[in-house]
Amino acid sequence: MSTDPRHIVRSYEQELNQLRALTTRMGGLVESQTAQAIAAIIDRDAEAAQAAMEQDPEVDALEREVEGRAIKLLALRAPMAQDLREIVSTLKITSDLERVGDYAANVAKRSLRLGTMPSELSLGGLRTMGRLVQESLRLAIDALGQNDKEKALEVWRSDKAVDEVYTAMFRELITYMMEDPRNIGACTHLLFIAKNLERIGDHATNIAERVHYAVTGEMLPPARPRGAGAAPE
Amino acid sequence: MEPDANHRSRAMPDSAIPAADGALSAAARAMISIRGLDFHYGDHHALRGISLDFPARQVTGMIGPSGCGKSTLLRILNRMYDLYPGQRATGEVLLDGENIIAPGTDVNRLRSRVGMVFQKPTPFPMSIRDNIAFGIKLHERISRSEMDGRIEDALRRVALWTEVKDRLRAGAGALSGGQQQRLCIARTIATRPEVILLDEPTSALDPISTARIEELLDELKQDFTIAIVTHNLQQAARCADQVAFFFMGELVEVDRADRMFTTPRLKRTQDYITGRFG
Repeated sequence: MSTDPRHIVRSYEQELNQLRALTTRMGGLVESQTAQAIAAIIDRDAEAAQAAMEQDPEVDALEREVEGRAIKLLALRAPMAQDLREIVSTLKITSDLERVGDYAANVAKRSLRLGTMPSELSLGGLRTMGRLVQESLRLAIDALGQNDKEKALEVWRSDKAVDEVYTAMFRELITYMMEDPRNIGACTHLLFIAKNLERIGDHATNIAERVHYAVTGEMLPPARPRGAGAAPE
Repeated sequence: MEPDANHRSRAMPDSAIPAADGALSAAARAMISIRGLDFHYGDHHALRGISLDFPARQVTGMIGPSGCGKSTLLRILNRMYDLYPGQRATGEVLLDGENIIAPGTDVNRLRSRVGMVFQKPTPFPMSIRDNIAFGIKLHERISRSEMDGRIEDALRRVALWTEVKDRLRAGAGALSGGQQQRLCIARTIATRPEVILLDEPTSALDPISTARIEELLDELKQDFTIAIVTHNLQQAARCADQVAFFFMGELVEVDRADRMFTTPRLKRTQDYITGRFG
């Protein structure tokens, strides 16, 4: 869309650009929040955990700001076609981003609890999930910033891998809990962390779907590629 | 320019989308079919190779920048251009299968079948009653009581009856702009046309009068095929079932209104409706 001619009304053009800039900033913030949350688990980094939790209010404030501006644009500019699609998608994308921020903060909080537990459990699954989810989120936010439908499609297709790792981790953790009830506390936290990471992946996919709609006007089919076997809820 | 076949196929609904949501139904008969229409004002080639269907009992909105040919097209549909020398149309404009731009067409009969409402209300300088009786008398000879019934019916249909029934003999010039425009629509429908053409019918009206006219169009399309030229894209979005975008004498794109305003197919359409420099 960057190759499009500018709007005749310059202030409209400016307001749309401001909306894009705010959304991109929110995306960047949530991306770094997620990276810190993942570092907090994998590296047992309490400072990263703290930083991830502290970013949450700023993300929430940005969501409200974007929402207010989007509603104003809808009311005052009566946008049409690609502008309409972009603004409506932005409204939905910011709530996806806000949820991602919440999940990241929750993962960070749980990582602090994990640190106090004597746990010999493997973090291999979480490391893989963290990497996949971070990659999806980064790609989704790139797609958003660049209005890139190909990147959006790539994210949409990649969610399957996250689901598969989550399903495998779920089974692994259940096995640990059955083996020794003393593992239940730590494993429950790990399970929630895995679930939160999996949800972050879902929201990255949502963002990709909305970018695809904004750019092309086409909704992707409701059934997206999912992992083999239903991921446990 | 896209081939004509594309225009037409886009005017048909997606097979995946049920027609129940007010979409153009596959069964909708074309009341007017334009095929390969060209129009000249002297040396100026104002319309080029237009092919477009106006589905029966639906509203077709025509949009485009000034000078794009949309009003010209409207004026062809009831042969208004006959009034001016040096203007000529070629191609086919089929009204119920009959080519109305062919030389043998009875223009008076055509205009009773295809009524027109203009940008500025054009009440005649006579009473409210006579404004409506005038059009009927041109085409029919009916009894006074029958005439009274027709006048009341026309005024009721435009929701003007309760406002004017006690002053039918008063001059139409005393009505407000919105009332005058509704009177003009009443005058048009009193002759029982099949098609109503409206050329920017609300551009001189306030928002409330505009809303009344738009509500009226919604009612009238139960019985009439409506073509409306408007510069107000929101109005086209609100009123029209089908929207046609014209640019420099060509029909660029035609589609269902909901698709036209969310996902236009062509970049030229998108640039125009989003207000961008072309």
